[in-house]
Amino acid sequence: MTMTASVLSRDSIGQVGLLAGSLLILLASIGVLRFPDALTRMHALAKASTAGVAVALLGVAVTVSQINDVMSLLFATALQAATNPVASTLLTRAVYYAEGVTTELAAVDELAADVAAQPTDERSAP
Amino acid sequence: MIIAAVIVLGVAVVLFGARLVIGPSLADRVVALNGIIIAGMVLIAVDAMVAERGSFLPVLVVLAVVGFVGTAMIARFLEGRGQ
Repeated sequence: MTMTASVLSRDSIGQVGLLAGSLLILLASIGVLRFPDALTRMHALAKASTAGVAVALLGVAVTVSQINDVMSLLFATALQAATNPVASTLLTRAVYYAEGVTTELAAVDELAADVAAQPTDERSAP
Repeated sequence: MIIAAVIVLGVAVVLFGARLVIGPSLADRVVALNGIIIAGMVLIAVDAMVAERGSFLPVLVVLAVVGFVGTAMIARFLEGRGQ
């Protein structure tokens, strides 16, 4: 029991979490660089980087010892996990209205029905 | 392992910066800037982990809020301009 406690120390767990989160952020950056469309790039960034920053900051939160630092890291993680999907959705709606979406396969466009149903001046009002 | 994480984050920042430079539309550049902000947040956390000193950790909270407000503002701007 003491040997596993020495192998799985707090520092090594935190560093593994930090490296895993950094690799997820690297995956997000590769997706942002290589995907062909603004919406697919947003898809890559929203999922992978939210998971990556959560895992990395929780790994650092395991390592540090002051309670102030732990609470700052936990609050930043919760805030990022709450706001990053919302910001991505807002930007995706903006791209949909500004540039339109090219549907190549048999795609389902549910927002087009909503846009057609509501009056246009309500949508364009600031 | 910390050095590997810093190198990985540096490569990610370089790739985000390439998309920031070559991105054809404004939304692509906003996506790339959001990624750079996230990588910078993790780098600040790495600094606090290495130096055993959490003086800069409240900056993470401020960066999360400012990134969200900036992205939402640019989304409103794009949505109004596209009409």
